[in-house]
Amino acid sequence: MTEHAYAPALMRAHALLAADRPEEALRELAVLPESDAVSAIVFELRAAALLQLERWTEAGDAARAGLAAGGPDPDLLCQLGFAEYRLGRHETAERALLDGLAIAPEDVSLLCVYARLCLEHGQLDKARRLVDLAAAQQPDAPTVYATRVQLAHASGDDALAQRISREFVAAHPENAQAHALLGGTSAARGQVRSAYSGLRQAVANDPADRDYAKAAYEARIALHPLMLPVRPFARFGAVKTWIAAIVVIYGLRALGLYPLATVAGLAWFALCVYSWVVPPLLRRWLLRRWR
Amino acid sequence: MNDDLFQPTIGSRQVLAVPPWRPSSIVYPAFFGGPLAVTVLGVLNARRLALGRNQQLAVAAAGLAAVVARLVVAGLFGGQAGARTLGTLFGLAVWGVVAATQKKAFRAYEYGDREPASLFGPGLAAVIGCGILENILIAVVVD
Repeated sequence: MTEHAYAPALMRAHALLAADRPEEALRELAVLPESDAVSAIVFELRAAALLQLERWTEAGDAARAGLAAGGPDPDLLCQLGFAEYRLGRHETAERALLDGLAIAPEDVSLLCVYARLCLEHGQLDKARRLVDLAAAQQPDAPTVYATRVQLAHASGDDALAQRISREFVAAHPENAQAHALLGGTSAARGQVRSAYSGLRQAVANDPADRDYAKAAYEARIALHPLMLPVRPFARFGAVKTWIAAIVVIYGLRALGLYPLATVAGLAWFALCVYSWVVPPLLRRWLLRRWR
Repeated sequence: MNDDLFQPTIGSRQVLAVPPWRPSSIVYPAFFGGPLAVTVLGVLNARRLALGRNQQLAVAAAGLAAVVARLVVAGLFGGQAGARTLGTLFGLAVWGVVAATQKKAFRAYEYGDREPASLFGPGLAAVIGCGILENILIAVVVD
Protein backbone atom coordinates (compact mmCIF):
# COMPACT_ATOMS: atom_id res chain seq x y z
CA MET A 1 0.00 0.00 0.00
CA THR A 2 1.49 3.36 -0.98
CA GLU A 3 1.40 6.47 1.16
CA HIS A 4 -1.63 8.52 0.42
CA ALA A 5 -2.93 11.96 1.30
CA TYR A 6 -6.39 10.59 2.05
CA ALA A 7 -5.12 7.66 4.05
CA PRO A 8 -7.60 8.18 6.94
CA ALA A 9 -10.61 7.76 4.63
CA LEU A 10 -9.03 4.69 3.06
CA MET A 11 -8.28 3.22 6.48
CA ARG A 12 -11.91 3.74 7.48
CA ALA A 13 -13.13 2.04 4.30
CA HIS A 14 -10.71 -0.81 4.93
CA ALA A 15 -11.91 -1.24 8.50
CA LEU A 16 -15.57 -1.17 7.41
CA LEU A 17 -14.85 -3.90 4.86
CA ALA A 18 -13.15 -6.02 7.50
CA ALA A 19 -16.23 -5.52 9.72
CA ASP A 20 -18.51 -6.80 6.93
CA ARG A 21 -20.10 -3.39 6.32
CA PRO A 22 -19.49 -3.00 2.58
CA GLU A 23 -22.25 -0.43 1.97
CA GLU A 24 -20.73 2.02 4.43
CA ALA A 25 -17.29 1.38 2.93
CA LEU A 26 -18.68 2.33 -0.49
CA ARG A 27 -20.13 5.56 0.95
CA GLU A 28 -16.75 6.36 2.51
CA LEU A 29 -15.04 5.86 -0.86
CA ALA A 30 -17.65 7.86 -2.77
CA VAL A 31 -16.80 11.13 -0.99
CA LEU A 32 -13.11 11.08 -1.91
CA PRO A 33 -12.04 14.02 -4.12
CA GLU A 34 -11.91 13.16 -7.79
CA SER A 35 -8.12 13.39 -8.01
CA ASP A 36 -7.77 10.65 -5.38
CA ALA A 37 -10.67 8.48 -6.44
CA VAL A 38 -8.77 7.13 -9.44
CA SER A 39 -5.83 5.45 -7.69
CA ALA A 40 -5.54 1.67 -7.85
CA ILE A 41 -5.97 1.17 -4.10
CA VAL A 42 -9.31 2.98 -4.13
CA PHE A 43 -10.55 0.80 -6.96
CA GLU A 44 -9.37 -2.28 -5.09
CA LEU A 45 -11.34 -1.33 -1.98
CA ARG A 46 -14.38 -0.48 -4.08
CA ALA A 47 -14.17 -3.82 -5.89
CA ALA A 48 -13.82 -5.65 -2.57
CA ALA A 49 -16.95 -3.94 -1.24
CA LEU A 50 -18.92 -4.69 -4.41
CA LEU A 51 -17.82 -8.34 -4.32
CA GLN A 52 -19.10 -8.61 -0.74
CA LEU A 53 -22.41 -7.18 -1.96
CA GLU A 54 -22.41 -9.70 -4.83
CA ARG A 55 -22.67 -6.88 -7.38
CA TRP A 56 -20.45 -8.77 -9.80
CA THR A 57 -20.67 -6.53 -12.88
CA GLU A 58 -19.75 -3.36 -10.99
CA ALA A 59 -17.03 -5.21 -9.07
CA GLY A 60 -15.48 -6.37 -12.34
CA ASP A 61 -15.62 -2.82 -13.72
CA ALA A 62 -13.95 -1.43 -10.58
CA ALA A 63 -11.16 -4.03 -10.76
CA ARG A 64 -10.64 -3.27 -14.46
CA ALA A 65 -10.46 0.46 -13.73
CA GLY A 66 -7.90 -0.25 -11.01
CA LEU A 67 -5.78 -2.27 -13.43
CA ALA A 68 -5.99 0.55 -15.97
CA ALA A 69 -4.90 3.05 -13.31
CA GLY A 70 -2.07 1.13 -11.66
CA GLY A 71 -1.02 -1.63 -14.05
CA PRO A 72 -1.07 -5.41 -13.38
CA ASP A 73 -1.68 -6.30 -9.74
CA PRO A 74 -2.41 -9.77 -8.33
CA ASP A 75 -5.14 -8.60 -5.92
CA LEU A 76 -7.04 -6.69 -8.61
CA LEU A 77 -6.64 -9.59 -11.04
CA CYS A 78 -8.03 -11.94 -8.39
CA GLN A 79 -11.04 -9.66 -7.89
CA LEU A 80 -11.57 -9.42 -11.63
CA GLY A 81 -11.24 -13.20 -12.00
CA PHE A 82 -13.74 -13.84 -9.22
CA ALA A 83 -16.25 -11.33 -10.60
CA GLU A 84 -16.00 -12.77 -14.11
CA TYR A 85 -16.32 -16.29 -12.69
CA ARG A 86 -19.52 -15.37 -10.85
CA LEU A 87 -20.84 -13.73 -14.02
CA GLY A 88 -20.41 -17.06 -15.80
CA ARG A 89 -17.62 -15.83 -18.09
CA HIS A 90 -15.22 -18.59 -17.16
CA GLU A 91 -12.65 -18.15 -19.90
CA THR A 92 -12.16 -14.47 -19.09
CA ALA A 93 -11.98 -15.38 -15.41
CA GLU A 94 -9.26 -17.94 -16.07
CA ARG A 95 -7.25 -15.43 -18.10
CA ALA A 96 -7.36 -12.89 -15.26
CA LEU A 97 -6.44 -15.50 -12.65
CA LEU A 98 -3.54 -16.84 -14.72
CA ASP A 99 -2.28 -13.29 -15.34
CA GLY A 100 -2.32 -12.81 -11.58
CA LEU A 101 -0.55 -16.11 -10.94
CA ALA A 102 2.13 -15.14 -13.47
CA ILE A 103 3.00 -12.22 -11.16
CA ALA A 104 2.33 -13.95 -7.83
CA PRO A 105 2.49 -17.74 -8.31
CA GLU A 106 2.02 -18.39 -4.58
CA ASP A 107 -0.94 -16.06 -3.96
CA VAL A 108 -3.37 -18.06 -1.84
CA SER A 109 -6.52 -16.23 -2.97
CA LEU A 110 -5.67 -16.60 -6.66
CA LEU A 111 -4.88 -20.30 -6.22
CA CYS A 112 -8.13 -20.95 -4.36
CA VAL A 113 -10.40 -19.04 -6.75
CA TYR A 114 -8.77 -20.85 -9.67
CA ALA A 115 -9.22 -24.20 -7.90
CA ARG A 116 -12.91 -23.42 -7.38
CA LEU A 117 -13.26 -22.64 -11.08
CA CYS A 118 -11.57 -25.94 -11.98
CA LEU A 119 -13.96 -27.81 -9.64
CA GLU A 120 -16.94 -26.47 -11.51
CA HIS A 121 -15.46 -27.83 -14.72
CA GLY A 122 -14.85 -31.25 -13.18
CA GLN A 123 -11.04 -30.83 -13.22
CA LEU A 124 -10.54 -32.35 -9.80
CA ASP A 125 -6.84 -33.23 -10.12
CA LYS A 126 -5.86 -29.77 -11.17
CA ALA A 127 -7.99 -28.26 -8.41
CA ARG A 128 -6.30 -30.54 -5.86
CA ARG A 129 -2.82 -29.47 -6.97
CA LEU A 130 -3.80 -25.80 -6.77
CA VAL A 131 -5.25 -26.20 -3.27
CA ASP A 132 -2.16 -28.12 -2.15
CA LEU A 133 0.01 -25.24 -3.32
CA ALA A 134 -2.16 -22.76 -1.42
CA ALA A 135 -2.17 -24.94 1.69
CA ALA A 136 1.62 -25.10 1.58
CA GLN A 137 1.64 -21.30 1.85
CA GLN A 138 -1.08 -20.68 4.45
CA PRO A 139 -2.60 -23.89 5.78
CA ASP A 140 -4.87 -22.00 8.20
CA ALA A 141 -6.28 -19.40 5.81
CA PRO A 142 -10.12 -19.52 5.76
CA THR A 143 -10.20 -19.61 1.96
CA VAL A 144 -7.86 -22.64 1.98
CA TYR A 145 -10.13 -24.51 4.40
CA ALA A 146 -13.24 -23.59 2.41
CA THR A 147 -11.72 -24.69 -0.89
CA ARG A 148 -10.53 -27.97 0.62
CA VAL A 149 -14.08 -28.67 1.82
CA GLN A 150 -15.47 -27.93 -1.63
CA LEU A 151 -12.84 -30.18 -3.22
CA ALA A 152 -13.69 -33.08 -0.91
CA HIS A 153 -17.42 -32.56 -1.58
CA ALA A 154 -16.90 -32.46 -5.34
CA SER A 155 -14.85 -35.67 -5.10
CA GLY A 156 -17.84 -37.31 -3.41
CA ASP A 157 -16.03 -37.77 -0.06
CA ASP A 158 -18.63 -36.40 2.36
CA ALA A 159 -16.86 -37.72 5.47
CA LEU A 160 -13.63 -35.94 4.57
CA ALA A 161 -15.54 -32.75 3.73
CA GLN A 162 -17.15 -32.82 7.16
CA ARG A 163 -13.80 -33.48 8.88
CA ILE A 164 -12.15 -30.49 7.18
CA SER A 165 -15.18 -28.34 8.09
CA ARG A 166 -14.68 -29.30 11.75
CA GLU A 167 -11.02 -28.26 11.54
CA PHE A 168 -12.15 -25.00 9.90
CA VAL A 169 -14.58 -24.27 12.75
CA ALA A 170 -11.94 -25.12 15.34
CA ALA A 171 -9.41 -22.78 13.71
CA HIS A 172 -11.86 -19.93 13.00
CA PRO A 173 -14.83 -20.16 15.39
CA GLU A 174 -15.91 -16.61 14.49
CA ASN A 175 -16.11 -17.39 10.77
CA ALA A 176 -19.69 -17.72 9.51
CA GLN A 177 -18.65 -19.66 6.40
CA ALA A 178 -16.93 -22.29 8.56
CA HIS A 179 -20.16 -22.99 10.45
CA ALA A 180 -22.18 -22.94 7.23
CA LEU A 181 -19.84 -25.51 5.66
CA LEU A 182 -20.01 -27.72 8.74
CA GLY A 183 -23.80 -27.48 8.59
CA GLY A 184 -23.87 -28.25 4.87
CA THR A 185 -21.49 -31.20 5.07
CA SER A 186 -23.43 -32.59 8.05
CA ALA A 187 -26.63 -32.33 6.01
CA ALA A 188 -24.95 -34.24 3.18
CA ARG A 189 -24.28 -37.05 5.69
CA GLY A 190 -27.86 -36.95 6.95
CA GLN A 191 -26.95 -35.62 10.40
CA VAL A 192 -29.92 -33.31 10.58
CA ARG A 193 -29.31 -31.94 14.08
CA SER A 194 -25.70 -30.85 13.59
CA ALA A 195 -26.70 -29.55 10.15
CA TYR A 196 -29.22 -27.24 11.73
CA SER A 197 -26.97 -26.14 14.61
CA GLY A 198 -24.08 -25.39 12.22
CA LEU A 199 -26.23 -23.30 9.91
CA ARG A 200 -27.90 -21.54 12.82
CA GLN A 201 -24.46 -20.58 14.11
CA ALA A 202 -23.56 -19.28 10.64
CA VAL A 203 -26.67 -17.07 10.68
CA ALA A 204 -25.76 -15.87 14.19
CA ASN A 205 -22.26 -14.89 13.01
CA ASP A 206 -23.47 -13.26 9.80
CA PRO A 207 -27.15 -12.31 10.12
CA ALA A 208 -27.15 -10.31 6.88
CA ASP A 209 -26.37 -13.26 4.57
CA ARG A 210 -29.56 -14.49 2.91
CA ASP A 211 -27.97 -17.72 1.65
CA TYR A 212 -27.15 -18.81 5.20
CA ALA A 213 -30.65 -17.88 6.37
CA LYS A 214 -32.23 -19.95 3.61
CA ALA A 215 -29.92 -22.93 4.20
CA ALA A 216 -30.70 -22.80 7.93
CA TYR A 217 -34.41 -22.78 7.17
CA GLU A 218 -34.00 -25.77 4.86
CA ALA A 219 -32.09 -27.59 7.58
CA ARG A 220 -34.98 -26.91 9.93
CA ILE A 221 -37.35 -28.57 7.47
CA ALA A 222 -35.33 -31.78 7.90
CA LEU A 223 -36.15 -31.60 11.63
CA HIS A 224 -39.91 -31.38 10.93
CA PRO A 225 -41.92 -34.21 12.56
CA LEU A 226 -43.29 -35.27 9.16
CA MET A 227 -39.67 -35.91 8.06
CA LEU A 228 -39.07 -38.34 10.93
CA PRO A 229 -39.96 -41.49 8.92
CA VAL A 230 -37.45 -40.73 6.15
CA ARG A 231 -34.57 -39.91 8.46
CA PRO A 232 -32.94 -43.36 8.13
CA PHE A 233 -32.53 -42.75 4.38
CA ALA A 234 -30.65 -39.51 5.00
CA ARG A 235 -28.71 -40.79 8.00
CA PHE A 236 -27.48 -44.15 6.72
CA GLY A 237 -27.89 -43.69 2.98
CA ALA A 238 -30.40 -45.41 0.72
CA VAL A 239 -28.33 -48.55 0.15
CA LYS A 240 -27.75 -49.44 3.82
CA THR A 241 -31.39 -48.75 4.71
CA TRP A 242 -32.43 -51.00 1.87
CA ILE A 243 -30.17 -53.85 2.92
CA ALA A 244 -31.51 -53.59 6.48
CA ALA A 245 -35.12 -53.71 5.23
CA ILE A 246 -34.47 -56.72 2.99
CA VAL A 247 -32.70 -58.55 5.82
CA VAL A 248 -35.66 -57.93 8.15
CA ILE A 249 -38.37 -58.91 5.64
CA TYR A 250 -36.61 -62.06 4.43
CA GLY A 251 -35.44 -62.89 7.94
CA LEU A 252 -39.05 -62.95 9.14
CA ARG A 253 -40.00 -65.07 6.15
CA ALA A 254 -37.15 -67.50 6.82
CA LEU A 255 -38.35 -67.85 10.40
CA GLY A 256 -41.76 -68.83 9.06
CA LEU A 257 -43.45 -65.68 10.32
CA TYR A 258 -45.28 -65.03 7.05
CA PRO A 259 -47.91 -62.60 8.36
CA LEU A 260 -45.24 -60.51 10.05
CA ALA A 261 -43.08 -60.59 6.91
CA THR A 262 -46.06 -59.41 4.85
CA VAL A 263 -46.77 -56.59 7.28
CA ALA A 264 -43.10 -55.54 7.26
CA GLY A 265 -43.05 -55.66 3.46
CA LEU A 266 -46.18 -53.54 3.17
CA ALA A 267 -44.89 -51.07 5.76
CA TRP A 268 -41.63 -50.80 3.86
CA PHE A 269 -43.46 -50.20 0.59
CA ALA A 270 -45.56 -47.49 2.24
CA LEU A 271 -42.43 -45.87 3.66
CA CYS A 272 -40.83 -45.80 0.22
CA VAL A 273 -43.90 -44.12 -1.30
CA TYR A 274 -43.93 -41.69 1.64
CA SER A 275 -40.25 -40.83 1.21
CA TRP A 276 -40.88 -40.12 -2.44
CA VAL A 277 -43.96 -37.94 -2.08
CA VAL A 278 -43.93 -36.15 1.28
CA PRO A 279 -40.48 -34.44 1.51
CA PRO A 280 -40.79 -32.45 -1.75
CA LEU A 281 -44.34 -31.37 -0.91
CA LEU A 282 -43.41 -30.40 2.64
CA ARG A 283 -40.36 -28.50 1.43
CA ARG A 284 -42.37 -26.59 -1.16
CA TRP A 285 -45.09 -25.75 1.33
CA LEU A 286 -42.75 -24.57 4.11
CA LEU A 287 -40.48 -22.60 1.76
CA ARG A 288 -43.46 -20.78 0.31
CA ARG A 289 -44.48 -19.82 3.80
CA TRP A 290 -40.92 -18.64 4.50
CA ARG A 291 -40.84 -16.34 1.49
CA MET B 1 7.71 -26.87 -11.58
CA ASN B 2 4.10 -25.83 -12.04
CA ASP B 3 4.42 -24.98 -15.69
CA ASP B 4 1.54 -27.19 -16.73
CA LEU B 5 -0.57 -26.13 -13.75
CA PHE B 6 -0.72 -22.53 -14.91
CA GLN B 7 -1.83 -23.36 -18.44
CA PRO B 8 -5.40 -22.50 -19.39
CA THR B 9 -7.70 -25.51 -19.31
CA ILE B 10 -11.14 -23.95 -18.88
CA GLY B 11 -13.01 -24.22 -22.13
CA SER B 12 -16.07 -22.19 -22.79
CA ARG B 13 -18.76 -23.15 -20.33
CA GLN B 14 -20.54 -26.30 -21.30
CA VAL B 15 -24.13 -25.26 -21.66
CA LEU B 16 -26.34 -28.20 -20.79
CA ALA B 17 -29.34 -28.11 -23.06
CA VAL B 18 -31.65 -29.66 -20.46
CA PRO B 19 -31.05 -29.56 -16.68
CA PRO B 20 -30.16 -33.03 -15.34
CA TRP B 21 -32.02 -34.95 -12.65
CA ARG B 22 -30.50 -35.52 -9.24
CA PRO B 23 -28.80 -38.96 -9.54
CA SER B 24 -29.72 -39.90 -5.96
CA SER B 25 -33.42 -39.32 -6.79
CA ILE B 26 -33.33 -41.97 -9.52
CA VAL B 27 -33.33 -44.56 -6.69
CA TYR B 28 -37.12 -44.18 -6.43
CA PRO B 29 -37.98 -45.12 -10.03
CA ALA B 30 -35.38 -47.89 -9.62
CA PHE B 31 -37.32 -49.28 -6.69
CA PHE B 32 -40.80 -48.96 -8.10
CA GLY B 33 -40.06 -49.50 -11.76
CA GLY B 34 -37.25 -52.04 -11.86
CA PRO B 35 -34.11 -52.22 -14.02
CA LEU B 36 -35.59 -51.05 -17.33
CA ALA B 37 -36.98 -47.81 -15.85
CA VAL B 38 -33.73 -46.91 -14.09
CA THR B 39 -31.69 -47.74 -17.19
CA VAL B 40 -33.74 -45.45 -19.40
CA LEU B 41 -33.58 -42.61 -16.87
CA GLY B 42 -29.88 -43.24 -16.16
CA VAL B 43 -28.84 -43.10 -19.82
CA LEU B 44 -30.99 -40.01 -20.43
CA ASN B 45 -29.45 -38.32 -17.38
CA ALA B 46 -25.92 -39.20 -18.52
CA ARG B 47 -26.74 -37.43 -21.78
CA ARG B 48 -28.19 -34.46 -19.89
CA LEU B 49 -24.97 -34.25 -17.86
CA ALA B 50 -23.02 -34.39 -21.14
CA LEU B 51 -21.07 -37.42 -19.90
CA GLY B 52 -18.90 -39.38 -22.30
CA ARG B 53 -19.86 -42.47 -24.28
CA ASN B 54 -18.22 -44.77 -21.72
CA GLN B 55 -20.40 -43.64 -18.84
CA GLN B 56 -23.54 -43.97 -20.97
CA LEU B 57 -22.47 -47.44 -22.09
CA ALA B 58 -21.73 -48.49 -18.49
CA VAL B 59 -25.30 -47.67 -17.44
CA ALA B 60 -26.79 -49.25 -20.58
CA ALA B 61 -24.70 -52.41 -20.15
CA ALA B 62 -25.58 -52.75 -16.46
CA GLY B 63 -29.25 -52.23 -17.33
CA LEU B 64 -29.21 -54.78 -20.14
CA ALA B 65 -27.48 -57.33 -17.90
CA ALA B 66 -30.03 -56.73 -15.14
CA VAL B 67 -33.02 -57.10 -17.47
CA VAL B 68 -31.60 -60.29 -18.97
CA ALA B 69 -30.79 -61.67 -15.50
CA ARG B 70 -34.32 -60.93 -14.36
CA LEU B 71 -35.78 -62.68 -17.41
CA VAL B 72 -33.51 -65.70 -16.89
CA VAL B 73 -34.44 -66.01 -13.22
CA ALA B 74 -38.13 -65.62 -14.03
CA GLY B 75 -37.79 -68.23 -16.80
CA LEU B 76 -35.94 -70.70 -14.59
CA PHE B 77 -38.19 -70.51 -11.58
CA GLY B 78 -41.35 -69.69 -13.51
CA GLY B 79 -44.21 -67.87 -11.94
CA GLN B 80 -44.41 -64.51 -10.31
CA ALA B 81 -43.20 -65.52 -6.84
CA GLY B 82 -40.70 -62.91 -5.74
CA ALA B 83 -40.87 -61.19 -9.13
CA ARG B 84 -41.55 -57.83 -7.50
CA THR B 85 -38.57 -58.16 -5.13
CA LEU B 86 -36.25 -59.30 -7.92
CA GLY B 87 -37.23 -56.32 -10.06
CA THR B 88 -36.46 -54.05 -7.13
CA LEU B 89 -33.11 -55.69 -6.40
CA PHE B 90 -31.92 -55.55 -10.02
CA GLY B 91 -33.23 -52.00 -10.32
CA LEU B 92 -31.23 -50.93 -7.28
CA ALA B 93 -28.11 -52.61 -8.66
CA VAL B 94 -28.40 -50.57 -11.85
CA TRP B 95 -29.05 -47.43 -9.80
CA GLY B 96 -25.75 -48.13 -8.01
CA VAL B 97 -23.98 -47.84 -11.37
CA VAL B 98 -25.90 -44.65 -12.20
CA ALA B 99 -25.02 -43.05 -8.86
CA ALA B 100 -21.36 -44.07 -9.09
CA THR B 101 -20.89 -42.68 -12.60
CA GLN B 102 -22.93 -39.47 -12.21
CA LYS B 103 -22.33 -38.20 -8.66
CA LYS B 104 -19.23 -36.11 -9.38
CA ALA B 105 -20.57 -34.61 -12.60
CA PHE B 106 -23.78 -33.65 -10.83
CA ARG B 107 -21.92 -31.97 -7.97
CA ALA B 108 -19.90 -29.95 -10.46
CA TYR B 109 -23.22 -28.92 -12.01
CA GLU B 110 -24.58 -27.91 -8.62
CA TYR B 111 -21.50 -25.76 -7.96
CA GLY B 112 -22.69 -23.39 -10.64
CA ASP B 113 -25.73 -22.54 -8.46
CA ARG B 114 -27.91 -24.41 -10.89
CA GLU B 115 -31.03 -26.36 -9.99
CA PRO B 116 -31.74 -29.94 -11.07
CA ALA B 117 -34.83 -30.80 -13.10
CA SER B 118 -37.83 -32.39 -11.39
CA LEU B 119 -37.93 -36.16 -11.72
CA PHE B 120 -41.52 -36.48 -10.57
CA GLY B 121 -43.28 -36.66 -13.93
CA PRO B 122 -40.58 -38.50 -15.90
CA GLY B 123 -40.01 -40.84 -12.93
CA LEU B 124 -43.68 -41.74 -12.72
CA ALA B 125 -43.87 -42.23 -16.51
CA ALA B 126 -40.80 -44.49 -16.45
CA VAL B 127 -42.15 -46.52 -13.52
CA ILE B 128 -45.49 -47.15 -15.24
CA GLY B 129 -44.30 -47.44 -18.85
CA CYS B 130 -41.16 -49.49 -18.28
CA GLY B 131 -42.77 -51.51 -15.49
CA ILE B 132 -45.58 -52.65 -17.81
CA LEU B 133 -43.14 -53.34 -20.65
CA GLU B 134 -40.88 -55.39 -18.40
CA ASN B 135 -43.77 -57.44 -17.03
CA ILE B 136 -44.99 -58.14 -20.57
CA LEU B 137 -41.48 -59.34 -21.44
CA ILE B 138 -41.46 -61.62 -18.39
CA ALA B 139 -44.88 -63.00 -19.28
CA VAL B 140 -43.70 -63.73 -22.84
CA VAL B 141 -40.51 -65.46 -21.65
CA VAL B 142 -42.16 -67.50 -18.90
CA ASP B 143 -45.08 -68.76 -20.96
